[in-house]
Amino acid sequence: MPRTSPSLAAYSRSLWHVAWPPLVAFVLTVLVWQVAVEGFGIPVYVFPSPLRIWTSFWADPTGLLFHASITLYEAVAGFIIGSTFGAVLGTTFAYSSLMARGLLPYMIAANTIPTVAIAPIIIIWFGSGLESKIAVTAFLSFFPLALNMMKGLQSYDRTIMDVFHVSAATGVQKFLKMRLPSALPYVFVGLKINVTFAVIGAIVAEFIQADRGLGFVIMTTYRTLAMPRLWAAMIVSALIGILFFAAVALIERVAIPWHASMREQV
Amino acid sequence: MAEGMRPSSQPSGPGPEAARPVVSGRALSLVYPGDGRSSPVVALKDVSLDVLPGSFVSLIGPSGCGKSTLLRIIADLLAATSGTVTVDGRSPAAARLDRQIGFVFQEPALLEWRRVLANVGLPLELRGASRAERDERASALLALVGLKGFEKSWPRELSGGMRQRAAIARALSSEPRVLLMDEPFGALDQITRDRLNMELVRIHEATRVTVIFVTHSIREAVLLSDRVVVMTPRPGQISRIINVPLARPRSLSTRADPEFQRLVNEGSLELERGYADAAN
Repeated sequence: MPRTSPSLAAYSRSLWHVAWPPLVAFVLTVLVWQVAVEGFGIPVYVFPSPLRIWTSFWADPTGLLFHASITLYEAVAGFIIGSTFGAVLGTTFAYSSLMARGLLPYMIAANTIPTVAIAPIIIIWFGSGLESKIAVTAFLSFFPLALNMMKGLQSYDRTIMDVFHVSAATGVQKFLKMRLPSALPYVFVGLKINVTFAVIGAIVAEFIQADRGLGFVIMTTYRTLAMPRLWAAMIVSALIGILFFAAVALIERVAIPWHASMREQV
Repeated sequence: MAEGMRPSSQPSGPGPEAARPVVSGRALSLVYPGDGRSSPVVALKDVSLDVLPGSFVSLIGPSGCGKSTLLRIIADLLAATSGTVTVDGRSPAAARLDRQIGFVFQEPALLEWRRVLANVGLPLELRGASRAERDERASALLALVGLKGFEKSWPRELSGGMRQRAAIARALSSEPRVLLMDEPFGALDQITRDRLNMELVRIHEATRVTVIFVTHSIREAVLLSDRVVVMTPRPGQISRIINVPLARPRSLSTRADPEFQRLVNEGSLELERGYADAAN
């Protein structure tokens, strides 16, 4: 059954079908929030109303977006570096059980170190610039991909391996044309975990020491109790996380259109 | 595809007595060494077999009789503990590296991330053939196995029988000297199985490729084969080789032939004897 591309009208109908319940929930929540905060006279530093958050964002939108772009840059750069190292190490582990048995316990131990505990050390090593935030982010987004890469490369179909063997495939061909494609669904699981970790890593590193970025905004507004601005920064940090996640999900759709988890969404 | 199958070196039909066997096994044994807890298992004991060019040979017997083991030794997927085997006059490893072996497994084992055409062209791709050559041969083979029009489909969009047809096309794409089939239709329903048996008869006629076919079904074996090799388990041995002189081309109506019935009965009795011996 060849798939036909749905018409634009059908597509927007299905989009509306998916989008209206969360939209209604959003509008209702904001309305109740606004009315409740104003009605009960809740102090603004405890719970600012949506209108106040919006006003404080709109007072200096480019400033907040500048800080958001710094954080996004750190998150994306750290994500790419950490994921690359993770992919290489995961591949090494998949091909060498000796390396995996020798190093994996320490990797797991290192992965349990809380970010806030390791971040100051990394900042001492890499200085006070963006590099240190990228390094913290890379450290965080290293392990999930290493583990998923290893699992993915080991999860190939044994009969398909026999097919490649009988066809006299080389080791490189087995890797590129069979084990890597088989691993891609796992790889994207790891990458999606890394997206979340990368944004957290960047913001936590900015907490420790920074003069720009959303973590810096959150810290300074906290000290001056400029809570509506802090809330605005928090919401923007969530939005860049969503944006980042959506980008990776889009790449996944393009890279592995054949995969089972993709089918249900069509 | 017939012109691609080196007709000069491959006489049509079971060749004259002088023809060199495509596959020749001598005193093949395979023992799985036991570890501390289990004793060694003799999967195959002293098996000798010659398969002539262009012929269709079935291996049949109960589970554990070593028929799949024998097939995997010929394909260089397993190494025999003792004895020798040659494929096209060479070691299985040499024949495999020269892409002279096609293998169809019980599962289609298609790559789900490739469309059907790219799946069928995979062995050619691994050999380094050009895109144009791959697509041309793969298209022709898909037409041969009755999958014309499904080149751009994903494997998951095909039925079980269609996937197995694609797997057969893939195994034939490197123009192997021998096609090894390990219960290829075992997972299919009876009607699909009958249809694919007839497809296989047609493909064998068209390509004259040498086939070694593992099955559990004596009717399937007699219907398709020139010779049926009956094996017994524990240890895996050949108990008897039955020649099938039924006229070719075969069809489903061949099954109405009294000679077909006689051969099936003969094979069944031989299989029964194997089970009885194994039980004692």
